[in-house]
Amino acid sequence: MSGGATRTGQRGRRQNMLTAAMVAPLVLFIVVVFLWPVARFLALSVDNSDISSNLSRTFAAIGDWQPATGSPPEPLLDALVQDLAEARNKGRDGVLAQLINQRQVGTRFLVIKTAKDAAEGKFDARPVGDALLATYPGWADPALWTEIIRARGTLTAYYLLGSLDLQRSADGGIERVPADRAVFVDALLRTIWISLVVTVVCAVLAIPVAQAIVSAPPAWSRIMFALVLFPLWTSLLVRTVIWIIVLQKNGPVNAALVFSGLVDTPLTLIYTRFSLYIAMIQVLLPLMVLSLVSVMRRVPASYMKAALSLGAPWATAWRRVQLPLIMPGLLAGSAIVFVFALGYYITPILVGGPGDQMISSYIAFYTNTTLNWGLAAALSVQLLLVLLASAFLLWTARVLTRRPAGAP
Amino acid sequence: MLKFSHSLSVAAMLAASLATAQAADTINVVGWGGNWDKAYKEGVWDKYSEQTGAKIVMEEWGGELAKVRAQIQSGSITWDMVSPEAPSVEVGCAEGLFVSLTPEITGDPSKYLPGTIHECGVASDTWATVLAYNADAIQGDGPKSWADYWDAEKFPGKRGMLAQAQYTLENAMMADGVAPADVYDELRKPGGIDRAFAMLDKIKPHVVWWSTSTQAMQNLASGEVVMTDQYNARVTNDIVNEKKNYKIVWDAGFFYGTDMWSVVKGSPNEKAALELLKWFSIPENQAGFSKLYAYGTGRIEAADYVPEEWQKNLPTAPQHAKFGATYDTNFWVENKESLEARFQAWLAQ
Repeated sequence: MSGGATRTGQRGRRQNMLTAAMVAPLVLFIVVVFLWPVARFLALSVDNSDISSNLSRTFAAIGDWQPATGSPPEPLLDALVQDLAEARNKGRDGVLAQLINQRQVGTRFLVIKTAKDAAEGKFDARPVGDALLATYPGWADPALWTEIIRARGTLTAYYLLGSLDLQRSADGGIERVPADRAVFVDALLRTIWISLVVTVVCAVLAIPVAQAIVSAPPAWSRIMFALVLFPLWTSLLVRTVIWIIVLQKNGPVNAALVFSGLVDTPLTLIYTRFSLYIAMIQVLLPLMVLSLVSVMRRVPASYMKAALSLGAPWATAWRRVQLPLIMPGLLAGSAIVFVFALGYYITPILVGGPGDQMISSYIAFYTNTTLNWGLAAALSVQLLLVLLASAFLLWTARVLTRRPAGAP
Repeated sequence: MLKFSHSLSVAAMLAASLATAQAADTINVVGWGGNWDKAYKEGVWDKYSEQTGAKIVMEEWGGELAKVRAQIQSGSITWDMVSPEAPSVEVGCAEGLFVSLTPEITGDPSKYLPGTIHECGVASDTWATVLAYNADAIQGDGPKSWADYWDAEKFPGKRGMLAQAQYTLENAMMADGVAPADVYDELRKPGGIDRAFAMLDKIKPHVVWWSTSTQAMQNLASGEVVMTDQYNARVTNDIVNEKKNYKIVWDAGFFYGTDMWSVVKGSPNEKAALELLKWFSIPENQAGFSKLYAYGTGRIEAADYVPEEWQKNLPTAPQHAKFGATYDTNFWVENKESLEARFQAWLAQ
């Protein structure tokens, strides 16, 4: 007996190893091309090495000097010139200048030009202070030095604070940015809200559609299924742009409204939150239908019939019998739609209004246009946290909706 | 066996063609894609290849300086000549990414339009952001100035505007009565930026924002907007190719910007690229581009080689140039990021 058990155990172990060997390439692939790059990108949100390593001498020379006490001392400017010359020779002056300009607007050329002159030996004579300040008086500005001192350290909270519309105040505390620059918190809340609305509307629309597909005779069912799938095979961009044509001022929808006498003048339908919802729902609805259909196919129609024949009103029967049974499909579909919706950025740019932009549009803007990858990474961290939170909520919902055995 | 010998001969032919390709220069040139690339290929590069046998390979980019920086840092430079916007040339030149050009290559700098020649580049194209309107949608007199553009009572209907601070703040200042040449002086004054945003507040309810030219032109065609700001060549393109009744109001004032050809320092074909640039600096050669695309180039005399009828579509044409001013690259290099952030916040309010 015991020999048989061992043999089964060996076979099981071999089976496990085989499974592991088959999955290993996939895991490796995901780690190398997904997890590792994502982690590296997210690390940029706290990485300050482009400043700290290129200005190491300067930071060491600052000591306890305070910008408010007067012009920067000779050893500090000496260290600065050495640092900038080295950064120039390593080709890092451009990045450094960009980062300092982010913190103190209007200093980009000051840094680049000083670095160029320093590398060419124009500030080799000592003392350097007077020569440097005579050529570039910008280095005497206490505001610039306050920002530089604030930027010391290998890690920085600058981008994470910025992504929450916060900044360091003059006394080193944390304060809100001025209202005319606060944009990200609103954008994040808006992103979550839009995604939620899209998910709920998709669920409400998809349930009858999925039910119809499952209940119809096989031939009809196949046709309806194909109709749901068909838009999925069309490019996202096409499906989005089509709405511009349909909803524009002289488009078919407005023409029909005016013709029927419902409105006198064409409505503004496109470039609004309304058009954004329509476009997103149309794109994401098939995903919800698909995940509902896969679950509904396994729910026998006799359950509903039984509940009805036992005298339950239709609504009660549906809520207490059908809904719990299709809940796994509903939750899975909602998760897919919500997560997809969170990451939308082309659709809001194309069919949304100025107040409908979602957080990913800003990530794209800072990644591609201004090359402020620190801020882009910090915003991505936010988005990732929202994802993790919604995954947790979904898991909780699954646990709660799983009906204990024997419960009525 | 027959098959084998066949593939052998193919291989031999391939080897031979590779050898000839290597013998002549191959220059990798990076431009802005689409019809722009097409105009350069047909109007300029093909001619150069015919004359010298050099092969020009075109690539497309979005003007990202970081890509050039990355190539130089990693030591594997594949781009020989690129066309960045002037602000990027300014930064890249200061950082030492681009080769310094001598008058031996560019020709006499005084023979160029202002802002179209730089230590590290010569204009590949000079484009303008102009006021354009749909003459089918506006009966009678159209808008004559940016102040008219702002006046929703006089000219009812929505206006298209580019959803970014750069190019839009300039238009707001012109609408407030500032002459193009004084716009940056006014923006740099304390409160100057606030003044521009206050003007934008006034027009905000009447604006349909756009982010791509295609979208903006679609809005103008469909009647969603009656007027729009736009890159001049896009409007000309629709007037000429689609017979649209659009008008460009050059004398409302406009700003022109310049993209430049710059040679990447240390690129494998640096010398060949400089030879190409030297050839390109001859007015007749660069005019080949403007003939096919409604953007100007740097050399003033290049206009002489463009048919008169077509010349009126170029921002560099003498009759328009007096209403225009050049974008201040230094202003935008330093202020872009903070102003775009403020603009985004303003837009979402």
